[in-house]
Amino acid sequence: MSNKMMQSRISRRRVLKGASAAVGLSALGAFPVFGQNDKKIVLSTWGGDYAKLLTKHVSNPVLAPQGWTVVNDEAQVTQRKAKTVAEKRLPKGTSDVQALTATDIAELTALDVLEPLDLSRFKNAPNIIKTFSIADSPLFSPHIYSGKVVLYNPKLIKDVPKGMDSLWDPKNQGKVGIVDIQHVYTTMAAALVAGGKTGDFEKAKKALLDLKKLKPRIYPSNEAIAQALQTEEVGLCIMWKARAVQWQNAGINVLTIAPKEGVISYVSGFAIPKNAPNKAGAYAFLDGALEPSVQEGFAIDMGYNPVVRNAKIAPELKARIGFTPEEEKLLVNPDLEFLAKRMADLKDFWDKEFKAG
Amino acid sequence: MTASVAADSLVSLAAREMRGGRRSTAAMLVGPATIFVTVGLLVPIVILFRYSLNQFVPGKMMVEAWTFENYVLFVTDPYYTAAFYRTLRVAVIVTVLCLLLAFPLAYKLARTQSRYKNLMIMLLVLPLFVGNAVRAAGWMTLFGNRGFLNVALQWIGITSEPITLMYTEFAVIVGILAVNLPYVVLTIQSVLEGIDRAVEDAAFNLGAGPFTMVRRVLLPLTLPGIAAGAIFCFILTMNAYATPVLLGGPQFVMMGPLVYTQFAAKSNWPFGAAVSFILMTATLILTAAANLMVQRRYRNSM
Repeated sequence: MSNKMMQSRISRRRVLKGASAAVGLSALGAFPVFGQNDKKIVLSTWGGDYAKLLTKHVSNPVLAPQGWTVVNDEAQVTQRKAKTVAEKRLPKGTSDVQALTATDIAELTALDVLEPLDLSRFKNAPNIIKTFSIADSPLFSPHIYSGKVVLYNPKLIKDVPKGMDSLWDPKNQGKVGIVDIQHVYTTMAAALVAGGKTGDFEKAKKALLDLKKLKPRIYPSNEAIAQALQTEEVGLCIMWKARAVQWQNAGINVLTIAPKEGVISYVSGFAIPKNAPNKAGAYAFLDGALEPSVQEGFAIDMGYNPVVRNAKIAPELKARIGFTPEEEKLLVNPDLEFLAKRMADLKDFWDKEFKAG
Repeated sequence: MTASVAADSLVSLAAREMRGGRRSTAAMLVGPATIFVTVGLLVPIVILFRYSLNQFVPGKMMVEAWTFENYVLFVTDPYYTAAFYRTLRVAVIVTVLCLLLAFPLAYKLARTQSRYKNLMIMLLVLPLFVGNAVRAAGWMTLFGNRGFLNVALQWIGITSEPITLMYTEFAVIVGILAVNLPYVVLTIQSVLEGIDRAVEDAAFNLGAGPFTMVRRVLLPLTLPGIAAGAIFCFILTMNAYATPVLLGGPQFVMMGPLVYTQFAAKSNWPFGAAVSFILMTATLILTAAANLMVQRRYRNSM
């Protein structure tokens, strides 16, 4: 009997040992080992089309011939930002390149986790359009851009809009759509409509409350408003020009104009964490993404504009995705300092006052 | 005498050893699950609670502190309390509707002699093979302004203008109801299967009408299944995410999506942690209270 008991005790211990070993192993497995290979670049990016296109246009044709292997670490940007901040104290982080937007950079600037970029390590830096120059925003290497335009359905909106103030026009009441996840850019747009700069939060608030009185329809996502535009539930909104191009391609009856108040730019690009294990690789990636061939590929496949002057875009594509020289003058960069400080307040106002009942 | 005492103690020793052996076998079986629950559930809950006491400073994400300000903010801001009561209301409505709809179906399923019984159960489970988000997408095509329902209503001539169905509480309730119903039906049905048909016949023999029979015999006997199904349904609704987001739209905020927004859109981890803790605690307390009530009732009725 006692023998049996011993046996069962031993096997219980074994089971416990085995279980704890398994738990330990799986915990270890949760931390992938990065930075072991000095020709490996860990690219932390959004998943989906963007990641696929980075592999197609940057990793495979530009970096692979130079001997670099790019490994993608795909997640939503908020998670990646949080991870980068959490890794701040580590001597070596887990990513070499972070794909971010200009507004993300604003948030991370104050946290001191990003490497100021050394312009001399960019072969392509002299070609960057001045609005997006690295010298002006030294933590961020731009990649592609689009801008907020006014998108309308000519069947529903008879008078061609001139600016974003057309959303505030009582004549268009009932035809206006707003996208919930675009709250940051919509707030900045409201500030411009109210005659302020993108960071004039007080003016924006007042304008948004005026807009609320006209009861615009609020959609959760870009996809949801695309459907509403297709069924003609709404016929007027502000949207990225690149999206408008995709929807026109999908057969939705919409046209765009560059608003007179300003075209708020959307810039997507890359940054290097201060503790990136492979900085040489990171610079190679950032510079590679500025190659004309890459920039042309993204214009064709994604509808975003090159940030370099030496990319060659076919005139008819340029006419659809790009901006004329006069429109380019309307480009406005978001007030990053404002966003860094007031992002949470902005979202609170949006949720509690603009969207509420 | 002494010999018998010695024999007795030997027997009791053997019995104790046997119990010990059983106990260790039990421990062996329970061990991995316990470890899994501890590592996978309790530790994160403790971490989450610790986070909820931290401070949120814009631009710095989370600053270590020991403060209850996140909890205070939740209970003092009408935006958040409204989200809580809305969630509670939806959960109660869905649970009640689920029980009302599930019971007859479960009864029919449990009592059927049809050779297609297995097929019927399969049909019931079939919707569970599709993710919640996909099912919500299905409802969206039905509820839209140009959706099937509105087009049909206008075609028949009941309405002339499209009625707003999408992004309403109604849409959310219908969506969650459809998700939860199979669980509740199956839970109640499994209990009904174990109830002898003879007790129903006995009730009828003693002169009870169908309603009296259900009320005084069937319902009390099924109470454990009903309670389990209700608790299941309630917890699922309190924590629903995909359906409220997709069918409720941006202005219909429930607790699950609220937690997500705090983490994902505002990077406000401490408040997000506090909201999830409040949600978890409230669900736990309400579930335990309901369970207690049912148990007491059940004991009385037996």
